[in-house]
Amino acid sequence: MPTVELSGKTYEVDEDGFLQELDKWNEEFAEAYAKEEDIEGTLTEEHWKIINYLRDYFQKFGIAPMIRKLCKDNGIDVKKLYELFPTGPAKGACKLAGLSKPTGCV
Amino acid sequence: MNKPLNPSDLARPSECLCHIEPGELPPLPPPYEDFNQTAIPPLKPDKIKNIEASLDDTVAIGIPKPANKQEEEELVRRFLAGLQKLFEKNNNWTFLQPLMLSMEHCAKCQTCSDACPIYEMSGKKDIHRPMFRAEVLRRIYNKYLKPGGKITAKFTGDIDLNWTTIARLAELSYRCTLCRRCATVCPIGVDNGLINHEIRKLFSQEMGIAPKEIHDKGTVQHLRVGSTTGMTPAAAKDSMEFIQEEMEEITGSKVEVPWDVEGADILLLHNAGEMLAWPENVGAFAIIFQAAGLSWTLSSEAAGYDAVNYGLWYDDVQFSRVAVRHADIARRLKVKKIVVGECGHAHKALTVIADRLLTGDLNIPRESAMVTLEEIVLKGKIKLNPSRNNFPVTLHDPCNIVRAMGIVEPQRRILRKIAPKFREMTPHGVMNYCCGGGSGFAIMSGYNFAEWRNLVSSRKKFLQILEAFKDEPREVPKYVCAPCSNCKGAIRDIIGYYSAEERSRLYYGGLVELIVNAMADMKKPMIRFGDEPSWTS
Repeated sequence: MPTVELSGKTYEVDEDGFLQELDKWNEEFAEAYAKEEDIEGTLTEEHWKIINYLRDYFQKFGIAPMIRKLCKDNGIDVKKLYELFPTGPAKGACKLAGLSKPTGCV
Repeated sequence: MNKPLNPSDLARPSECLCHIEPGELPPLPPPYEDFNQTAIPPLKPDKIKNIEASLDDTVAIGIPKPANKQEEEELVRRFLAGLQKLFEKNNNWTFLQPLMLSMEHCAKCQTCSDACPIYEMSGKKDIHRPMFRAEVLRRIYNKYLKPGGKITAKFTGDIDLNWTTIARLAELSYRCTLCRRCATVCPIGVDNGLINHEIRKLFSQEMGIAPKEIHDKGTVQHLRVGSTTGMTPAAAKDSMEFIQEEMEEITGSKVEVPWDVEGADILLLHNAGEMLAWPENVGAFAIIFQAAGLSWTLSSEAAGYDAVNYGLWYDDVQFSRVAVRHADIARRLKVKKIVVGECGHAHKALTVIADRLLTGDLNIPRESAMVTLEEIVLKGKIKLNPSRNNFPVTLHDPCNIVRAMGIVEPQRRILRKIAPKFREMTPHGVMNYCCGGGSGFAIMSGYNFAEWRNLVSSRKKFLQILEAFKDEPREVPKYVCAPCSNCKGAIRDIIGYYSAEERSRLYYGGLVELIVNAMADMKKPMIRFGDEPSWTS
C-alpha cells in the first residue's frame, strides 16, 4: 500500500492518493495535502466550508454528493469550485476531505 | 518501431513486451495535431515495483508479483486447473458451446484485426489483434491439457507456460473492450470477444485476479451496500429528492418520483452512476414517464436502484448474484416488466445473458428503454417542439444495445423526430465503434490507464465524432447523444482530455435529455452548452 508523508505523519493512501484509513483524517492532513492539489497558500474559510460539507454528507450517506448538490447547497457554481480546488471536486476536494475515491459508473 | 510479435513471445520475460512510440498512433485532424506526438505517460517506477507491468505501456489490474518460485508455480497450477474448468459442462454452463466453437474454428485470416479499433489505433500492434490473445489461450490449452499436446505443439503452434505468460495474458485481457466488432466480421462466426471474456473469467473465478474497480469496488460493493457507487438506499433517495427539485425548475410543475409501488406496470432500473454524475438523465426519465401517463416505479431496495452488473465483464458467479437480485426485486414488486434505462451493459446483462439464468417467476419480461421511449415519442404521447433541438446532433451506438442486441432503429426513429440536425456517424449501427470505455474501461483509471484509454482505446470514437461534425463551424455547439452511462463517461473523458469543448464546442449527453429538451411544455431547456441555454422562450 502506498503511503504519503505530511507534516511528519505517514498516511496510507491508494495509488491515486486517496486516504485509506478514513478515521485518521484530521485538519492537519487537509492543510498539508492542499499543496499537492495545486492550492496556493493555506486553506481559506471557503475551502473549509466545502470540506466540512463533504465530510458531513459522507458521514450521513457513505458517499460524496453529486456535484450539483454540492454547489447548490453551498451557493457556488462549478467554476468557483474549480477555482477553490483546481484538480476538481472529486480528485481535489474529496481527497482533502478524506473521502474514498468515487466508484461505480460516475 | 513495429516489431512483429508472436503469441509465444508472451512467455519470454522482458521489461516491456510492446511499447508505443510517440507518433505511432494514427494522426488526429486539426485542431488536434498537437496531440499527434503525445506519448502515453510512462509508468512511475515506484508505483509498479511490486506489480506485474511487463506487457505494454499501461497497467489495468496491477497483479502483485509472486513472492517466490513456489508461489509462481502454484499460480500456474491454478491457472491450468481453471482452464480445464472452462471446457467442462458442469463448470461452464454459460458459454461452453460458443467457447468450444471459437477455439476450434479460427482460420487466422485476420479479418477481425482490421475491424478492431484498439488494434488499428494502437498503430497496429500485434498484441492487440483480436486473435492474438485467443491464440495464446488456444496454444496453452492444446499443449498442456490435450493428450499428446506437447508433441503436436511443435507443428500447430508452441508456447511456454510460465508466470510471465499468465500475468501478461491477464493484463492483455483488459486491453479489449469486449465490443465484439471482431465477431461481427468473422466469416466463420468465431467470437474472439467471447474468448477474451472467458480469459477474464478464469482469472477472476479461479485466481481472484480482476481490476479492483469492477470487482472489489464493483460487484462486491454492489452486493454489500446496494450500489457500485457506494450509495445506500438512503443516499439514493436523498439524491433523487434533489433531482426532483432540479427537474421542477425545468418543468415548472410537480415531478413525481414513485418509489416501491407494488403492482406498477414498469420497474425502471437506472445505472446508479447516473444519479450522481448525470442526474438530469434520471430526472428526464421521470418527466417523460409522468407526461406519458405510464405506471412505473423505482426500487429503493439495495441493488434495486442500480442496474449495473459488472459481472457481465469478468465473472459469471458475480454476474448471477446480481442478476438474480434484480429479478427478485421485480418479482416481489409484482411489476409487469423491467425497463432498463440508458446503460448498455445492463441491457445485455439483464435482457440477454440473464435469460440463461432466470427461470419460473424470476423470468420477468425485460425491455430496453429505447423501445419504451419510441412508443412514447412516436405515438404522440407527449407534446413536442423539435425546433428547440436546433443544433447538430450525432448518435453513438452503445455496443451492448446495438451490436449485441440488434436494437438499432428505435433510438434513430426518435432522433429523426426530435432532432432536425441529426446526422449519423460513419460507420454506425451494428458496425459502429466502441466508445473505448466498454467492459469497465470507462471506470478504470489506476496508474496511467485513463491516459492509455484516451489516447488509444477511445481514439477511434473521437475521430468518428469529429468526422460527423466536420462541416459544422467551430463555434456551433454540437451534441453527441450517447444512451449509455459507460459510453458517456468515456466520451466525457475524451472531450476533457483533448479540450474538445473549447476547440470544437463538443457536448454530450443521453437520449432522454434531448427528448425533454424538445418537450413543448417545458419552462426551461434541459440541455445547456456551458453557460449557454440550448433554447430561449
